[in-house]
Amino acid sequence: MSTEPRSLARRLFEPASIDSQAPVARVLTYVLLSLWTLVVVIPLYWVFITSFKGPGEVDNGPFYLPFVDFAPSLQAWDFMLVQNYTLRPYMNSVVVAVASTLLAVLIGSLAAYALVRIRFQVKLAAVAIFLILLTAIIVAVATFGVRWEIAIVVAAALFVIALFTLVGRTKLAVGNSDIEFWIISNRIMPPIVAVLPIYVMFQQMRLLDTQVALIATYTAINLPIVVWLTRDFFAGIPLDLEESAQIDGASKFRVFFTIALPLVRSGLVATFLLVLILAWNEYLLALFLSNADAQTMPVLVSAQNTTRGPQWWNMSVLITVMIAPVIIISSILQKHIARGLLVGAVKG
Amino acid sequence: MRIGVFLAGFSAFAALVGAPAFAQDKPFAGVTVNVITQTGAIQEPLQRRAPEFEALTGAKINVIAVPFSDLYQKILTDWASGTNSVDAGVFAPQWMVDYIAGGYLEDLTPRVEADKDIQQDDVGAFFRDFSEKYSGKTYMITLDGDFHMMYYRKDVLEAAGLAVPKTWDEYLEVAKATHGKDMSGDGTPDFGSCIAKKRNAQSYWFVTDVVGSMTQSKGTSQGTFFNTKDMTPLVNNDAFRKALDFLSESTKYGPPDELNLDVSDTRPLFASGRCALNLDWGDVGTISIDPKQSKVMGKWGAAIMPGSKEVLNWDTGKLEACTAENCPHAIDGVNHAPFAAFGGWGGGINAAADPKVKDAAYAYFSFMTQPAQSNADVTVGGTGFNPYRTSQLGYSDLWKKAGMSEEEAKVYLGAINDSMSSPNMILDLRIPQNQKYQQVVLDEAVSRFLAGEIDKEATVAAVEEGWNELNEEVGKDEQLKLYKATIGAK
Amino acid sequence: MTATDTMPDAADRRSWAEWLDGHSGRIMVLPAVVVLLCFAIFPLIISAYLALSRFALASGGFTLKFIGLLNFRKLLVGSQQYHLLGKFGTFGFVQFALLALIAAGLFFLLARYLLRGRPTVVGTVGRLLVTSMAMGLAVLALATMAPGGVPGTVVNTLLYVFVGVSVQFALGLGLALLCGQPIRGRNFFRVLFFIPLMVTPVGIAYTFRMLADMQKGPFAPLVRAFGISEWSWATEAWSARLMVLVGDTWQWTPFMFIVLLAAIENQPRDQVEAARLDGANGFQIFRDITWPAIAPIAATVVLIRLIEAFKIIDLPNVLTGGGPGLATESMTLHSFISWRTQDLGGSAAIGYMLLFISTIVCVSFFNFVVRPARRFEA
Repeated sequence: MSTEPRSLARRLFEPASIDSQAPVARVLTYVLLSLWTLVVVIPLYWVFITSFKGPGEVDNGPFYLPFVDFAPSLQAWDFMLVQNYTLRPYMNSVVVAVASTLLAVLIGSLAAYALVRIRFQVKLAAVAIFLILLTAIIVAVATFGVRWEIAIVVAAALFVIALFTLVGRTKLAVGNSDIEFWIISNRIMPPIVAVLPIYVMFQQMRLLDTQVALIATYTAINLPIVVWLTRDFFAGIPLDLEESAQIDGASKFRVFFTIALPLVRSGLVATFLLVLILAWNEYLLALFLSNADAQTMPVLVSAQNTTRGPQWWNMSVLITVMIAPVIIISSILQKHIARGLLVGAVKG
Repeated sequence: MRIGVFLAGFSAFAALVGAPAFAQDKPFAGVTVNVITQTGAIQEPLQRRAPEFEALTGAKINVIAVPFSDLYQKILTDWASGTNSVDAGVFAPQWMVDYIAGGYLEDLTPRVEADKDIQQDDVGAFFRDFSEKYSGKTYMITLDGDFHMMYYRKDVLEAAGLAVPKTWDEYLEVAKATHGKDMSGDGTPDFGSCIAKKRNAQSYWFVTDVVGSMTQSKGTSQGTFFNTKDMTPLVNNDAFRKALDFLSESTKYGPPDELNLDVSDTRPLFASGRCALNLDWGDVGTISIDPKQSKVMGKWGAAIMPGSKEVLNWDTGKLEACTAENCPHAIDGVNHAPFAAFGGWGGGINAAADPKVKDAAYAYFSFMTQPAQSNADVTVGGTGFNPYRTSQLGYSDLWKKAGMSEEEAKVYLGAINDSMSSPNMILDLRIPQNQKYQQVVLDEAVSRFLAGEIDKEATVAAVEEGWNELNEEVGKDEQLKLYKATIGAK
Repeated sequence: MTATDTMPDAADRRSWAEWLDGHSGRIMVLPAVVVLLCFAIFPLIISAYLALSRFALASGGFTLKFIGLLNFRKLLVGSQQYHLLGKFGTFGFVQFALLALIAAGLFFLLARYLLRGRPTVVGTVGRLLVTSMAMGLAVLALATMAPGGVPGTVVNTLLYVFVGVSVQFALGLGLALLCGQPIRGRNFFRVLFFIPLMVTPVGIAYTFRMLADMQKGPFAPLVRAFGISEWSWATEAWSARLMVLVGDTWQWTPFMFIVLLAAIENQPRDQVEAARLDGANGFQIFRDITWPAIAPIAATVVLIRLIEAFKIIDLPNVLTGGGPGLATESMTLHSFISWRTQDLGGSAAIGYMLLFISTIVCVSFFNFVVRPARRFEA
């Protein structure tokens, strides 16, 4: 030992090759990563085992190991999945999350593609007139009791007239980056500001407590994220591929669906997954827009907090069945997520 | 709902009636009633009994459950916006006034009068006259009785040689003496007093328990929230200050996270044997006899809420010792004022619903409250229903079957009876926007006080100013008129 | 809308497909614009009206009475001021010193823009607006956190946003750097660390309530062993806020981690190897190669997180109900509670103020951090 302390130190603190780590550094890395693994796993583990407990095991706890310090029971699982209507909220969640995500990705990527490839110029005056008319409609309906159908028709007519007379003479216009920015900035809006009007809107259309209402709303709130991420993917595609297709006579839509979309596959998958998670877990809007028929899982989870105390065991069952599918999907799509999010966030 | 029960009920019915008679025997065949209520307790019996009711009448009851904190607004939004997807609700009588203001609630008086089976005479007078009615008309059918009571650990108090507290001062003494002892047998120290003090939960009612025993001594119609002369809040006085002292003092003998405990947390805490004293609704009783949850079976007792030997002189704002004149209802010199907090869950019907649906909804509530159903439901902890009929206050086979010994029943039902028959019961605030008075102003000020954000004087000022501001906003004269009407003051 | 295609029209045929193709730009953007108009702009205008009125129940429905800025006045200077803004403490030396420091910093940034760059009217006005708002919020935060003060929901929200996002970024970056080392099992860690993001925030809130239970949670014996069973995080303002932040961090660190890891994996390998051969240490490599490579992504990912962080509600609502006192109440929760008790006007007013603050913060972050970072990469 004493004859070669330097080489030992060197062996411990210096990497053996350029592509590896020094032993000490490697141990440290694994220790730190294991620590974080514990941080991630302990809450999940606790939820998982709580789903096999009953009131007695929870209230007199803590108990840590099934079979060792408490006898696990399937009572909560039986109660939530067999005796109760958990399947319906679950299907609601699946339908709403998947449908709204697909819609958001489709609408969002179309818009993003157009914003990247086609130059827009919208007259500022047109935007201003539009907003003024919209406000006028609302004031007319809210304070003067005008029927909203009439108000909308009148406003639309006025808008068309203005478009052909006044707007043409103005010069100021907003371009692509402004439109993009506007779309993205909609995400900043806290849902709490918009939820009541949205409620009234669906109530007028007799769509409250339906999956349609939730799908439409989720599509809207997640649209900005989709545009934001996908616009960067499209900007990264070399232009010549599309140009040659277009010279061959393919329409813009055809180019979009057959050339552009497949090229950004990874990015789309990552975007899809992120938006899916957001829609799957959304609570506030679901609480407002659903009663019984369209109730989704997050609402059901929070409903387990009753006057008899939070039903921890039932809640844990619900959380567990909510996480499971997302974990499976993301493990399968894992490669795409990494690549996709990267491209999305880098290019600009 | 259990599928087994459903199937059993269904096959029994099918065997009895036979398919062809279907349409004739069932007045409500093909009618669906959407009933909204809170999740968990209350939802359970409504859902469990729905198939039975359907077998009897043909009406399908669809129970919609939302978390308690969202229930009030959910019903209101549905009815106020004209959505009317909810045909009937089971909710707090306190909210009735807001729903009536909008004209959403159906007047049930003629239906109740024509109903032979409902046995209204059996329903406690308080529920019949106050919880169900508003300005003389019946709008709700009571399904649950609610009082605040005090629960104690008989064994712990006996071992320590302490008497069951009768006043708030005694309560604190007992809490102090028992705090830190191991009462659950797990070797860790337990707590002298468990009171729910979480913000934005159901804890603001406990303030009124303490204040009320000092401000109201001359009977129910005296009231405890406002001076019936001019709608001045009864806040800037020694009674309210003493109540604040009580709350902060009792926190010392409570669980360390008491400020974050809702009643839903203190109930299992008491049932698992960790509290010597506890304030709550009747639910603790039925949870304490539930063998699945309870570790205190046979070791607990219940009593009417503690009271005070001093009561407030409304004119001077000072506390004065109880005499025959200022405390006519005192027992052994102690003025008790049991608080009918919340007032018991009851069913109300949407006035805009289809007539046939309204009839079916009424029939369902009547079915639920009839002794045949109700007397069994109030003995079961999971229902969330507590006794409200005279016939439920005696020890019966039903109580026995639920696991309550005769001695426990005597104490528990006796405490309910004491509260229910007290002439000095406090009625909960039922003026328009009462949610803002209590859930916003009172709750916020008290929880800031307990968290140490503001001192006692600032708390008094915050509540007083907040209530005055609301009076002005809604209209002081109107509020005074309604306040007096709801408590029956002259 | 006038769309000018980059491609010239080939022929003059007036078929339907031709028309479709000619207007393809507009048609592609139209659905997105319509959806956003219906679900963002339209509700925003209605909410603006709501914020200026008082909601009351009336027989057969409800009434909205126009009351001007009364809702805002009540919140900013009236009886609800303590709730939104907080209670102001007394300014001591420390507060003045900190304020002077912040003011100097802001002034320096403003001066640098005016002197060095080529200032434009829009740029100058925008910066003046941002600077004054930053200054105002700094005064508010310092005054309410000074002795005797109590922070209101604005300061609470800012705390969640700035402290939360910084911690999540630091942790996410640290983990990504560790995972970016040549180690085995990287994909395992990647999937595992990603999981918290998939749990619904309500579920996380309840999970942490279970974990943080001082009586029957998994850490209760540990806490008792340390002899602090007489204390609880839930009773003190700062520990309660910390608890909310812990839950938030648990959920959102994975988001930072996963994106930053992808970025690190994508950094120029050859440069790193060359630097290693030249004898550069880990820190130098990070500073000169890794950081410049990931900075644009880092900026974007922080922006996304910043936007979402302002909306925090589920965690404080479930964990503490906004208590003890007002200590953990965020602006969204404040607005939600007002809504729940029929104060629809007040609720909308709070929502609007939240929208105002978060828009300014996010837009300035975009302009002053994300844009330069992206340019830096190009």
